[in-house]
Amino acid sequence: MTSAFFRLDYGSKLEREITRLVESFSEFQIDTRQYPKRWLAIKLLEADAEMLEQVRNMPNGETVISLSQQSAEKIKSMLGDDVDMLIADRRYGFINGIVRQSLHRPNMDRITFTDRIDDIVTHKWLGLPIFFAMMYVMFRLVIDVSAPFLEWTDTVITGPIAGWFSLLLDLAAAPAWMHSLVVEAVIGGVGGVLVFVPGLLILYFFLALLEDSGYMSRAAFVMDRFMRVIGLHGKSFIPMILGFGCAVPAIYATRTIASRRDRVLTALLVPLMSCSARLPVYVVFGLAFFGARAGTVIWAMYALGIMVAMLAGMVFTRTILKPDASSAFVLELPPYRQPALKSVLIHMWENTREFVRKAGTVILFASLVMWVLLNLPWGVENKRDSYFGKVSGAIAPVFAPIGFGDWQTSGALVSGFMAKEIVVSTLSQIYIHVDDDDAEAVEATTFGEDLAGIGLGFVDAAVNSGRILLSIIPGVNLIDEEAETQDTVLSRALREHYTPLSAAALLVFVLLYVPCVATLGAIKHEFGISWAVLSAVYQTAVAWAAAFLVYQGGLLLGLG
Amino acid sequence: MLTQLISLLENKKDGLSLFEISRLMDAQPSAVRSMLELLVRKGRLAEIGPDGKVCAVCGLESNCQLLAIKGKRYIVCERQLDN
Repeated sequence: MTSAFFRLDYGSKLEREITRLVESFSEFQIDTRQYPKRWLAIKLLEADAEMLEQVRNMPNGETVISLSQQSAEKIKSMLGDDVDMLIADRRYGFINGIVRQSLHRPNMDRITFTDRIDDIVTHKWLGLPIFFAMMYVMFRLVIDVSAPFLEWTDTVITGPIAGWFSLLLDLAAAPAWMHSLVVEAVIGGVGGVLVFVPGLLILYFFLALLEDSGYMSRAAFVMDRFMRVIGLHGKSFIPMILGFGCAVPAIYATRTIASRRDRVLTALLVPLMSCSARLPVYVVFGLAFFGARAGTVIWAMYALGIMVAMLAGMVFTRTILKPDASSAFVLELPPYRQPALKSVLIHMWENTREFVRKAGTVILFASLVMWVLLNLPWGVENKRDSYFGKVSGAIAPVFAPIGFGDWQTSGALVSGFMAKEIVVSTLSQIYIHVDDDDAEAVEATTFGEDLAGIGLGFVDAAVNSGRILLSIIPGVNLIDEEAETQDTVLSRALREHYTPLSAAALLVFVLLYVPCVATLGAIKHEFGISWAVLSAVYQTAVAWAAAFLVYQGGLLLGLG
Repeated sequence: MLTQLISLLENKKDGLSLFEISRLMDAQPSAVRSMLELLVRKGRLAEIGPDGKVCAVCGLESNCQLLAIKGKRYIVCERQLDN
């Protein structure tokens, strides 16, 4: 069958009238050069307005139109319906016949592998525990598996790399302040943040696995019921999941939500999802104070962020953001797929690259500014007497009731307003000093020995990580005591200034307090300055109150 | 097809949604939608709603809070029934 010879049969009665009309075109000398005669006859029978107008303007046009109307009436009286309906019916019937012959649809009633998994992971009662269990396993793996690499990176940055820079500065006869700038600001500040790259690589690896496998859609589905408690639906949970990576794209992702009220509320809750920038703070304090339980503590931070978001949502829904007409949540749950390694690696690399880029720009700039502020007035001996120390000291009493009323912590928290990783880089600058003993220790090795040490350290870290990974299997324990006590130089320094309780209060505060400047910028851009100000104020107030509860509650329970 | 569609709706006092019609006629919703549009344009069918809720997955009536969508329903016009 080719289009040149194809002709749809409209049935004998209709065909007879079509033929009559086609013959009338020749009889009344209707100009049919522009259109096929059969097509024109059908259009006249259908009473197509455009064709009727064209034929009416032709000589004898009115006569032919009159004939077509007679034919249409005749068909209607014979077949009981309008001609255009009969013609359309024939066409749809023909199309349906072709589709039936050529298209074979899978049996939709068959229960697929995906259906079987979804019966469990999206179960009314099991869905949420499974979601939190998945998160728990993920963060345990991220922290435990990355810990040996984290220590290796820390050793490389504070050891050989700091040593090489010191040597170069010595060779160039650089002044003491230049040493301080490079070692404390650049290596201490930026290096202190880059230490966490292995952890982030593993975090993004697992997030990519969950996303590519199709589980993330199920997480939104499972959370929908709980989102309704706060007057939102599962669609709002998707930006919130993105918020685990970075709040800025998550704020822009609220554009997919139709209602402005839902968008605003989602944007106010997204910064409560713990972004990856907070992870360095959790890891450094987690390893310093909670040892083998660091993974659990970090998971608790993520869970707390979700719970506080739910509570905040309930308050907003009952006060300034009352729900409008509820709209249904339609989410396509894609079938489960085996994640492609290439796609997972690309996802992992792109997100980590963004973190490294940020370390080389925003954090480097902030570290340099912080170094200047810590050294002004010029030549100040004690950092506490610097402008930064004095301003931070003036703010410090605000934090005293929540367990960290010292100038170092208040200064680090204020600097974290630019980006949360800067809390770690500022603490690194304040607490880590490269003294003469360290410098001599670095000089005692050759460049070749340093490189060999870096390589051997990496192999050692890989072996330890492998042991930890295998120890996840029940009944297998390959973890040696050394692997369980790994931490960073900063972690060791922090143990001298905090207690486990004040560290826990600090983690809660960092989780909840004012979003970084980029996030506030995104909220201002999308919803206006007043919502950005509200976001900053309410989060800081909630953070202070939550940290107060943790610290004072802990003291009452005798945990301090 | 159009006759079949109208016959199907003649027996449904509360009408049917696009998804329900597609399922009952074993046809793609996109194909049924154009037929429904034609019949509404011709005054054979009327749209009602969007009061009814149908499941976005199976197309059947549903009170599910998650996947139910508000769908227009189609009924045969009284004029047609009189005929």
